[in-house]
Amino acid sequence: MDADISQAPQQTITVSTGNNIWKRLRRSNLSNYLLLIAGALVMVIPFIWMLSTSFKPQAETISFPPRLLPMHPTLDNYFETFQRLNMGRLYLNTAFIAVVKTIINVYTSSLIGYIFGKFVFRGRDLLFYIILATWIIPFEVYMIPLYVMMVNFGLGDTYWALILPEISSAYAVFLFRQFMFTIPNDLLDAGRIDGASEWYIFHRLILPLSRPVIATLVAFYFMWNWNDFLWPLIVISSTNKYVLPVGLAVFVAEHGTQYGLTMAGASLAIVPVVILFLLTQRHIVQGITLTGMK
Amino acid sequence: MAASKVMPRKAHRSSVRGGEFRFIATVLVPTTIFYVLFRLYPLAYAFYMSLHDWKLLRVQQTFVGLKNYQTILNDPLFIKVVGNTFYFAIAATVLGTIVALYLAILINPIERGSTVLRLLYFLPVMTSTIAIATVWLWLYQTRFGLFNALLTMIGLPRIPWLQSPDWAMPSIILMSVWAGVGFTMIIFLAGLRGIPRSFYEAAEIDGATTLQQVRYITIPLLAPVTAFVVVTGLIGGFNVFQQVFLMTRGGPLDSTRTLALHIYDYAFLRLFMGTAASMAFVMFALVIAMTFVQLRIQRTEWEF
Repeated sequence: MDADISQAPQQTITVSTGNNIWKRLRRSNLSNYLLLIAGALVMVIPFIWMLSTSFKPQAETISFPPRLLPMHPTLDNYFETFQRLNMGRLYLNTAFIAVVKTIINVYTSSLIGYIFGKFVFRGRDLLFYIILATWIIPFEVYMIPLYVMMVNFGLGDTYWALILPEISSAYAVFLFRQFMFTIPNDLLDAGRIDGASEWYIFHRLILPLSRPVIATLVAFYFMWNWNDFLWPLIVISSTNKYVLPVGLAVFVAEHGTQYGLTMAGASLAIVPVVILFLLTQRHIVQGITLTGMK
Repeated sequence: MAASKVMPRKAHRSSVRGGEFRFIATVLVPTTIFYVLFRLYPLAYAFYMSLHDWKLLRVQQTFVGLKNYQTILNDPLFIKVVGNTFYFAIAATVLGTIVALYLAILINPIERGSTVLRLLYFLPVMTSTIAIATVWLWLYQTRFGLFNALLTMIGLPRIPWLQSPDWAMPSIILMSVWAGVGFTMIIFLAGLRGIPRSFYEAAEIDGATTLQQVRYITIPLLAPVTAFVVVTGLIGGFNVFQQVFLMTRGGPLDSTRTLALHIYDYAFLRLFMGTAASMAFVMFALVIAMTFVQLRIQRTEWEF
């Protein structure tokens, strides 16, 4: 502190307050850590309890007082759940649907967003705002006619019914359009002068430049599609076409009181997503600040 | 300056050639078809259905005008359902916002380990609501569930979490707040990063306490973010479905029956699609109202 005073007055202020804040933060951070760790425990305990129960034999799950660790740990719940839930099939179905829906939606939305962001033509803004406005229609409003339409098209109980209504999403279009404003026009014009076709410019110039938005949206829509529930519940009726959340919900309705089984089912549904999340969390957490929606 | 900014635009506009036009048309024609076929047409169709006594699989649907709207608005159960939905949306949003803001303020100054903490808080956000509800169904179990076991161990009476009409909704809300708080926290953290450090340094010099800094700098400066979080939280809350579908099926005594669940039941179990469609438009009205609030807030100039 003495050394600070000998320096120029302006610097003195910044340096000494900087020091003060640092000290204060350090002091207060300890209580921050304690509160945050307590909170983190609250966040984690349900998952730990889920895993712990899933390794317990049925008799142990309903013993009192409850124990954190199973006395006779068993994998039976997993074997039984995997079989009864037809888990391999559910994973495949869900992954297939989620991947297809995500790729199509992100690709088409980037293309549409590019057109709205980088071209000038009559009626552009009107069309864009009509598309954007469809975003606020609650799903509950159009799910009923959509279901009737799908049945009339003969697409009830097919994956077409899951994929077709999600070919493009207004919000993804909106985000891409916003992102396009950051790409300089000169770059496109340079491409055109070199004689590149519009498709070439989009695929070779625009898509690589949009990598951050694409990564975020892919991670994001994949997670969202993986967990989608209401629409698959309505249109899919054959059990061998079920997706994971629907399969799990039906399983819980059937085996509600066998908590070892339902916890094994929940674990099997959660663990792959958590692993995927840990691998891609950077994109997702960044994406939320970008998109502000779940 | 102005000229140089306009120039490339003009050049760009004049460069609309055949190839460009074809490109735009190739993309926008299917796009328009998609949004008309899968969004606008169903919207109109839903309204049309709401004016009919519409039953699935029936050949002829009878036009009834606004009778469906009249019926639901005079139905005490529907009023209760709307009330439940507001109860959930408001309580979950208010609680979730407060907890998330508090967590964000706690986590913001932390450097070491903040990534791990953020990941832990974010874990339920990643997870399917159905899986989370499955787990909490077990935690809430009256006799052997973890929560009541812990209560009994410290000598408190058991709580009939999902079994009593008074406790069921608070239980669903508690779970939903737990599941969503990590998401809101991340949004608040982004907002906090936007507040200049110098504001706090200035307050520090004036001798403001941490609490005063939160009260007079953080909260007012985060107002736009908070408004966004609250409005989107309410809209999301109006749609609550999976939790109540799996955990209570709307019971006990319809105390957790929400709009989305009610619409689903009417449309796909009872097959009264006209009535269900009219209920969906009530929900649409709520969402539109919230969206206008949101647009108003966004237009407001925030000055500090």
